[in-house]
Amino acid sequence: MFKLARKQLALDLVRTSLTAFAVGAVIAVILVLEGFEQGQYRQLEQIILKRNADLIATQSGVANFTAARSSLPQLARQDVESVAGVVNAHPLTVLPIIYNKENKLTPVYILVYDTRGGPDSIIEGSAIRKGRDIVIDRALARKYGLKIGDGFVVSDFEFQISGITGEAAFFMPFAFVSYDGMIDLFLKSEIAPDLSTFPLLSFLLIELEPGSDRMAIQQDIERQVPEVDVFTPEQLAERDVSMGRTFYRPIMGLLDTVAYVVGLLVVSLILFADVRSRLRSFAVMKALGFTQRHLLLLVLAQSLMLMALALPIGLLLAQALMMYIEAVAPVYLISIYQPLVFARTMIASLLLALIGALVPLRSLRRSDPVMAFQGA
Amino acid sequence: MFTWAWKSLFSQRSTLLGSSLGIAGAFILVIFFDAVFRGESEQIVAYPEHMKPDVWVMQVGVGNMHMAMSYVWDWKMDVIARMPEVEKVTPILYFASVINAGEEKLFAFVVGLLPDADRAGPWAMTAGRKIQNPGEAVIPDVLSEITGIGMGDSLKITDHSFKVVGLSHGTYSSANSVIFVPFAELEDILSSAGTYSYLLVDAKDGVDAKALAARIRNQVEKVNALPHDEFIHNDFSLAMQMGVEIIFIMTVICSALAALIVGFTAYTLVSRKQRELAIIKALGAGRGTVMIAVVMQSVILTLMGYLVAVAFAFLVIPEVPLLAPQLTLAVSLGAILQIGLVAILVAIVGAVIPAWWVSRLDPATAYQV
Repeated sequence: MFKLARKQLALDLVRTSLTAFAVGAVIAVILVLEGFEQGQYRQLEQIILKRNADLIATQSGVANFTAARSSLPQLARQDVESVAGVVNAHPLTVLPIIYNKENKLTPVYILVYDTRGGPDSIIEGSAIRKGRDIVIDRALARKYGLKIGDGFVVSDFEFQISGITGEAAFFMPFAFVSYDGMIDLFLKSEIAPDLSTFPLLSFLLIELEPGSDRMAIQQDIERQVPEVDVFTPEQLAERDVSMGRTFYRPIMGLLDTVAYVVGLLVVSLILFADVRSRLRSFAVMKALGFTQRHLLLLVLAQSLMLMALALPIGLLLAQALMMYIEAVAPVYLISIYQPLVFARTMIASLLLALIGALVPLRSLRRSDPVMAFQGA
Repeated sequence: MFTWAWKSLFSQRSTLLGSSLGIAGAFILVIFFDAVFRGESEQIVAYPEHMKPDVWVMQVGVGNMHMAMSYVWDWKMDVIARMPEVEKVTPILYFASVINAGEEKLFAFVVGLLPDADRAGPWAMTAGRKIQNPGEAVIPDVLSEITGIGMGDSLKITDHSFKVVGLSHGTYSSANSVIFVPFAELEDILSSAGTYSYLLVDAKDGVDAKALAARIRNQVEKVNALPHDEFIHNDFSLAMQMGVEIIFIMTVICSALAALIVGFTAYTLVSRKQRELAIIKALGAGRGTVMIAVVMQSVILTLMGYLVAVAFAFLVIPEVPLLAPQLTLAVSLGAILQIGLVAILVAIVGAVIPAWWVSRLDPATAYQV
């Protein structure tokens, strides 16, 4: 049956190529949509995991990192560092700003760091070396055409871009400055009069002695320093992903559903059109003794072979789209190679092929052996 | 020739229907993406839009509310309130953060209201009442529906608990559910004694808001003052700009998909009518005429898909929030027209391969058995 199906597909190569491309494009769209959602979760997760902490302390009652406001008392650092097993509590301050240049507004999360929590990797340029240096995300650099050495104005204070990194989450590019830079910003910019209201310390990135019991120290800190809640980076990442799911799932669920319906329509249409165009061939086969079941198996085999052709095309297209999106809008991460995304799309494609093969069933039934003896 | 194109297209109604729906689906994806971002963006400005003061005053360097952080010393409000053009100044405290609502973690805008600041509170209530006492909160009705947190239940913002006393209407969106709490408690959460976030300035009758905003900027140090329309424009632009790239990308992707469906269908149609086309060519129809007929088929097909998508956009999308109340969707005529232009391009691109195939068709095929 597969041999016959293969020959049918080989009969008209232009049509088969178009078909495979159309189905491949549907698979690519589904993969990109699924990958887009998973990418957002991955970004939320990575932004925390890349801060290089054994434990993270937040303001009491705050259980998230991205998009959460956490404000710790200055003395909290000293108190946390006095807990046995803690080597250092590296300060980290989050400064959300709206970057405005040429009337283009972008919310940017500035992470102010000292000895830990800086950019994970520098794509271009160098890390922060002096107070006015800033490392910005590549999405921001691309959107505003910013290069190494360019100024980056926050309020009326000008930082100088020393490096480009690739860290973004929740549709927002991140930027990194040192505490020297933040103090300069506060003292020299127009926001100075309202300095006292800014959170000067948002999180503590806790470094533990090697081999120490993380969970035990986590509890010790919470008991001894009631102003803070303590999480492992993984716990905090999980909570941020959970917050992300609340935000993205209804929207992405809706878009995924539309994409799957389009996929089903395309596969069904292709198989339906194919069966309709070969009604006479099916009639001949019936006249030769093929049963309805045989014909259905033939369509099914063809559908599966088509899907087998379309899958690599879909993957290639999705890869191309991923690269395109990364180039055009690097603020979005598309994670198509996550096992969950991959498995779900593959299973869905298989189901589309199976359901699609059932659509032309009525036409198959209508192919009468008598048609085989009728003129064209 | 054109009659042939029309008749041959409609002689295969099932294929036509399937293709149109497939093309419609691709366009619907784009419309959905746009509707999601537009809906969220409109909802993001719902609070400031309903407050509608003549002038918004905030910290210098800040020009909007969404995802912004603003602090203005309280004495600056007194200076503004004393201006002769000013009728009333209502301060609010505001912050955006993640809140714990039952099992859910949600991104929310929390607005702190002074006891006499009813003007800056919820504009429509579904149930309960506005906040009157410490420890009370008014949450969006949709938030209550999604999380199951109802009247009398508690809600946590950092380590402070609030009792829900009212459900407001029109205040929910995925990106910013507006929650109203007493000023003093939010001040405590933010450790922001002596400051406000935004000042809602109502001008006396006949005062030009632009001129008043300029005067406030000049006379009160380190503040920004914007007329209401400009403030709203900034917020809406910011929200839309966050989605503009992904909407563009999805338009490109889905349009390519639609072009492939058009191409496949048009190719199927002409290859099935191969002999008829050969006869038409043998009878003297020029290559250009036949190609135009193929393009016409593509255009009709794409137009049908587009019209189905438009019908879906106007009839179905507005009903989606009834099933999924957490979604705020807004269909824009501008976006629909833009997709219409893209559809024309899709029809032409989709017709390339079948038109090329038809142009190469040998009239002698008509005489083959």
